[in-house]
Amino acid sequence: MSRLRREQIVGLLMTLPALLLLSIFFLYPLFNSFWMSLHKWPLFGKPKWIGLDNYVWMINDERFWQCLKFTLVYTITVTPMLFIVAIGTALLCNVKTWGTTFFRSIYFLPVVMSFATASFVWLWLYSEWYGVIIFLLKAIGFGPEDGQLSVWTDGWTAMWAVNTMVTWKFAGIQMIILIAGLQSIRDDYYEASRLMGASRFQTIWNITLPLLRPSIALALILSIAGSIQAYEQFQIMTRGGPMNETKTLVMLTIGMGFDYFKLGPAAALGVIIMSILFVITLIQLRLFRKAY
Amino acid sequence: MKKYSGDWYWYYAINSVLVILILFPIYWTFISSVKKPDELITSEPTFYPHTWTWQYYDRIWNYDTDSIRTNTWGETSEDEENNKNKEKESSKIHKTTGSVTQTIGIDDAFTNSAIVSVGTIIFSIIVSTFAGYGLTFFRIPFKEVLFILLITPILVPAISLIIPIYKLLKGLGLTDSYLGLIFLHTTAMLPIGIFMMRNAFSSIPNSLREVALLEGTSELRIIGNVMLPLAIPGLLTVMVFAMYTSWNDYVLAFLFINSPEKTMLNIALAKIALGGSQFEMKWGSLTAGSMISFIPIIIFYTLLQRYFVRGITGSAVKE
Repeated sequence: MSRLRREQIVGLLMTLPALLLLSIFFLYPLFNSFWMSLHKWPLFGKPKWIGLDNYVWMINDERFWQCLKFTLVYTITVTPMLFIVAIGTALLCNVKTWGTTFFRSIYFLPVVMSFATASFVWLWLYSEWYGVIIFLLKAIGFGPEDGQLSVWTDGWTAMWAVNTMVTWKFAGIQMIILIAGLQSIRDDYYEASRLMGASRFQTIWNITLPLLRPSIALALILSIAGSIQAYEQFQIMTRGGPMNETKTLVMLTIGMGFDYFKLGPAAALGVIIMSILFVITLIQLRLFRKAY
Repeated sequence: MKKYSGDWYWYYAINSVLVILILFPIYWTFISSVKKPDELITSEPTFYPHTWTWQYYDRIWNYDTDSIRTNTWGETSEDEENNKNKEKESSKIHKTTGSVTQTIGIDDAFTNSAIVSVGTIIFSIIVSTFAGYGLTFFRIPFKEVLFILLITPILVPAISLIIPIYKLLKGLGLTDSYLGLIFLHTTAMLPIGIFMMRNAFSSIPNSLREVALLEGTSELRIIGNVMLPLAIPGLLTVMVFAMYTSWNDYVLAFLFINSPEKTMLNIALAKIALGGSQFEMKWGSLTAGSMISFIPIIIFYTLLQRYFVRGITGSAVKE
């Protein structure tokens, strides 16, 4: 056996475990999600080919549109919140002064907490009767004087409550990405803008932000992709309530599959979520590339 | 890098406010978990615990034996035997009814999560090391295609594949098993793991391997004795991310684990949280449980912070 042939075989053997995992637990389900979405899957008996009926059924379902709308509203509101906090802290922490490392590691701290745990923690902070946030809100004059103040009774306030938690939890990741981007900007640009007498705001607007585009794109893609897949935060904190007003697409998918055993429509929903993410990512990459 | 020379006090003022805001929820969780019930359940919260208690930690950590133990206080050894029988009976009942209400303590859930996390860490290190090594040092046909294929899962979130994954696990008999979760977590780890290990190996000169091969060292020995010691930063990044992925997983553990004795930590917390209406929620237990879930990952973070950050920026900065 030639040395090259031997090397090829050994090399392939080394990648084999990874390839097996990938094929079984990723490629096969990926293929199967399309396959299942085109079939009727009864609990017992054989699946039947029904073409696009699952999609049609889903699109004609009011719940789908409600969940889609909420997921999009959530994405549109939480993304700027996250981004503003992240870019603020990134600009603030992009200096070499005593304490910067400490501040950065504190801002990153919530990221390492599990999302579920963070949701439980904030559930306690928001608790109607004993929650400290409710206490503070009342102290500054929100809500009825002696009655109960709850953020969960209204879909809109519930969403903002969750948004706040998500911002607290995830701004750190984006901050790290943006800092990495900031550090790749060469000092001469700042030097030049200083010599031209630009104000700090002008420098940020005309130099930092344009040069930071790739990092901004990445941060936004991460946050939008994450919000389209929102599940844990709403499952734990609002349970989709009140009146399913805060039910996300993924919650609908999982409910459809695991509570009602409608596997076909649920698989179709999965494909729809995947397509939405795919389209959004493409648009964003296009938008941010054009600028060069 | 620019410097805030004249207005450094603004820098520290803003940062201090932010630090307080960020740390407050964690601080509040901690003090809530050590307050006595009458101080905890009140509409006039105190901002530091006036009296301390570890009773919530004790209670959730020993949840399953709790009811039995409260009965045994001050009783004779004869009763103890009775209680042992009672304990046996009660565990039997739980098994036969298959009840999904919480029947295990946080200690067991903690162990379950630890088993799956350690399994994921070991498994992802092995898989990504071999794949990274093979993809760096070997002339494999379609090498680049393979590499790109192996990192595609990063584009398609597992959650949109949840239904076919469920069918697959069912078919393989891997629902309700640690192994199923370990496989899924490792697959989720593949892109970042292989990317990191390939990067780590790429910075090692090939000549090092050639020399070792000429000396007749086996490929496995080269990996173990020559390459891995040089790739430790990459290895630690993989480890940290495997731990993070596995320990923090909620959805997969929630959907694919049914038997109470296999409950994962995050799900056990959810069961505490839902153990009653909103009004009666066991807040002390929940905050104590949250702290217990947070502690291992915070230890990881303090020790290996650099690698958390490297994992995020490393995968962010494309070649």
